[in-house]
Amino acid sequence: MEISDMTFFASFCIPFIAGASIMFAVIAVKYISWLRNLPRKDWRLIAKGVFSMSTLRALWEVVRESLLHRRIFKVDARLGYMHMSLAFGWFLLIAVGWAETVAYLGFQWVPLQGHVFFKYFVPLNGITAHKPVFDFAMDFLLLFVLSGVAMAWLKRLRSRALGMRKTTNHILFDRVALSALWFVFPLRLLAESVTAAIYGGGSFLTGGLGRLLDSVMGEGALGYAYEPLWWMYSLALGIFFVAMPFSRYMHIFTEIPLIFLRHYRLRPEAMEKSYDNFEVEACSRCGICIDPCQLQSQLGINEVQSVYFLRDRRYNMLQQKIANNCLMCGRCEQVCPVGINLNTLRLNSRSSMRNIPHEGRYNYLRGVDRSLGEGRVGYFAGCMTLLTPNTMSSMKRIFEAAGEEVWWADKEGGACCGRPLMLSGEVDSARKMVEYNKSLFAKHGITTLVTSCPICLKVFREEYHLEGVEVLHHSEYILRLMEQGRLNVGREQGATFTYHDPCELGRGSGIYDEPRAVIEAVGELLEPEHTRHDALCCGSSVANTAISDAQQLKIAQGVASQLEETGAQTIVTACPLCKKAIARGATRQVADLSEIVARCIK
Amino acid sequence: MGYHTIVIGGGVAGMQCASELLRQGVAVTILEKESELGGKIRNWHKLFPTFTPAEEVLAELRSRLISSPNLAVRTGCEAAKIASDRVVLTSGEVLECDSVVVATGFTLFDAKVKEEYGYGIYDNVITSADLERMFNEGAVRLKSGVTPRRIAILHCVGSRDEKVCQRHCSKVCCVTGVKQAMELKRMFPGADIFNFYMDIRMFGPGYEEMYREAQVDYNVHFVRGRISEVSPTIDCRLQIKAEDTLTGRPLKMAVDMLVLLVGMKSNALNENLVAECGLKAQPSGFMQPRDSFLHNVESNREGIFYAGAVTAPKNVGESMNEGTAAARAVVEWLAKR
Repeated sequence: MEISDMTFFASFCIPFIAGASIMFAVIAVKYISWLRNLPRKDWRLIAKGVFSMSTLRALWEVVRESLLHRRIFKVDARLGYMHMSLAFGWFLLIAVGWAETVAYLGFQWVPLQGHVFFKYFVPLNGITAHKPVFDFAMDFLLLFVLSGVAMAWLKRLRSRALGMRKTTNHILFDRVALSALWFVFPLRLLAESVTAAIYGGGSFLTGGLGRLLDSVMGEGALGYAYEPLWWMYSLALGIFFVAMPFSRYMHIFTEIPLIFLRHYRLRPEAMEKSYDNFEVEACSRCGICIDPCQLQSQLGINEVQSVYFLRDRRYNMLQQKIANNCLMCGRCEQVCPVGINLNTLRLNSRSSMRNIPHEGRYNYLRGVDRSLGEGRVGYFAGCMTLLTPNTMSSMKRIFEAAGEEVWWADKEGGACCGRPLMLSGEVDSARKMVEYNKSLFAKHGITTLVTSCPICLKVFREEYHLEGVEVLHHSEYILRLMEQGRLNVGREQGATFTYHDPCELGRGSGIYDEPRAVIEAVGELLEPEHTRHDALCCGSSVANTAISDAQQLKIAQGVASQLEETGAQTIVTACPLCKKAIARGATRQVADLSEIVARCIK
Repeated sequence: MGYHTIVIGGGVAGMQCASELLRQGVAVTILEKESELGGKIRNWHKLFPTFTPAEEVLAELRSRLISSPNLAVRTGCEAAKIASDRVVLTSGEVLECDSVVVATGFTLFDAKVKEEYGYGIYDNVITSADLERMFNEGAVRLKSGVTPRRIAILHCVGSRDEKVCQRHCSKVCCVTGVKQAMELKRMFPGADIFNFYMDIRMFGPGYEEMYREAQVDYNVHFVRGRISEVSPTIDCRLQIKAEDTLTGRPLKMAVDMLVLLVGMKSNALNENLVAECGLKAQPSGFMQPRDSFLHNVESNREGIFYAGAVTAPKNVGESMNEGTAAARAVVEWLAKR
């Protein structure tokens, strides 16, 4: 039969066609509005990147992450397989299915439903010859996908079986989409099996199941089931497609453009912008961010994790109590398989809700500056270090031993670095602090700025733009002094230390090795179970204004006991806030890095 | 009657309770972890608001106990496990009894936890307990040996402070701060003394009058505001930063000495009472009496009683009253049993 005489339409296709049309229309509207509202700066970045290697690199990442899900494999192989079988399996079913129609009909235009329901149209159009290789391949791929569906079912019942302590608690809409998706492939299996039983074809799976159904039900019953099964398959697809752009499954089509845009160097910023839509809707609500969250594991707080924050933000139902209840420790960001900038998004949400600068409040900044003196090196202790004077006096001894001329930046005039305000969303107020401190630094002509507070360090590096001034954390600075031979320290015989990575220093600023090198110069370093990228948060983060002190203490006790399990005599950290927090929950001595160095100076 | 009660803790509450029990014919064993009886006020100089020497009160309490054949005092030992009919010591020894009074008192807040005040870091930052010791030694001196000319006294160190998980008010520190300021002023009439406070809570008879006297007759200064941080000056004095919350202005001041009025923390042993002995504690960590009004010296377990600061911060008089009340409750319970 000529292709022009063939039919590729049956009434059962209507739900599928309607669903697919609605889905593509909604997605198109979303894409267009998001792209249209991108700021000009972002468009320039896209224009610059699109004809570069970035596009190819992005394409490769799409294969790796959107199809194969390499990052989920890193979290857990079972989870990785589940996601890969669904995404890559479905993709191959579509691709091989298309190749199958080409094999049967040559390169001809066939409407979409003709491809999707090809097994139905083969006998309808009187094609009797079968292609066993394709039958086998398609059956194999269907089995691949079905194995993933089975695992998804299992995960809903028992998430631990797939390596997750807790899985996402979905809203009703997601449940509808999820259920439809779960039924798509089993219904396809049944519809194709019955088709194979009646008209022949099919391989080990659909052919085998077809023969079984035939023997159990008889050909008459199969005939009755035939059309309804194709209807149900089409309906399941249709429901899923309609639900998709409004549900978590929007991630399927959002992650792909996101990967490209990210390769063109678009990033979320301090204020919300259109690009954020790509990040927010790329969240698949897989819930991998839940398990690392200490608010969940230590305090049993279940509704604030990144997955719920993004969901609430997406549906415009975000409340302050959700947005503010986060330690911003970055542990979820570390494992997010989509690589969403969770902290930045939460911050710009806070900013949208809270950024109302109080004009009179910062008038005191005039007249605070009583600073004197000069020095090549400026030392900014930071508010929290001023509250841990042992660190201050240790730094003083280190500076003296190294013969460094130091200007003490916040003794006679420094103001807060501004980051606590930024973390609470008060970006404009924070800018007043930034500008004040910047002019103070400029006035004293420093070339190096050392701080012992990682919270200050991060904002100095990322927001201050101090041209001509090198910003160093004291761990980096001390290590440099040692390497230059300006600071001689002796080893403390038999001294054992364990190190707590402060969130802002480790995950926040990527400084892991320097403090360790310094510790190893004075004694033995014992690593705790969770360390480096996976380090726990001390719980007293200035980013969280929602939890109580008792709750902070509970987190600190969890962290302290894990550090004490190493058997080390002293818990060392490199952040004054972490030090104060852990000391509250620890039974052993807690010291700042500078303290253990200062007492070993030769 | 032939009954035997174990009183755990030989401070003012425990001593008073023991003497009352003895008077009523109950044999008593006092367990005291220190080497002698007396508790916290052994190291105290004078008691507010009458400036009565603490030693005078202790001497009277001791004399009430002396020469009773029914009393056994076991010093240097601690209870590990308590039931109404037996107490197991940390040494493993088991003491049989008919009832137990827990009069273990409180633990002084460790000022080192508030590192920002520099206790243990700067020489002339001391606690209220250190100051009492200095009074007893007869001389208050700076580390350098000279007399202080300007002294700051900071209230609420480890009390009403969420940051160290001590939400409760320790109640007696305000008046202690006033008392110590007056004693310092008597010692150094020319010195400036500043009390930094959040509220002044003068709850007892004669306290408010004392507070007024301190201002009018002794010229002690009171500044409403907590000290936020302390740092050393070049000439080895202490620079304190605070906010005067009445004028709403930040304040910086150099002083020679800083006295921290350390609060009462729930006894560190209370956790063990909860975990091992089935007793209940309040969220503050202090033990929970069976009822705040009608059974305030009884625990949630029959035959185990409380006296003194084990259930809440109390002054010396209140603790002694509870000793008496607990003794009476014990006798009633033994008779009814």
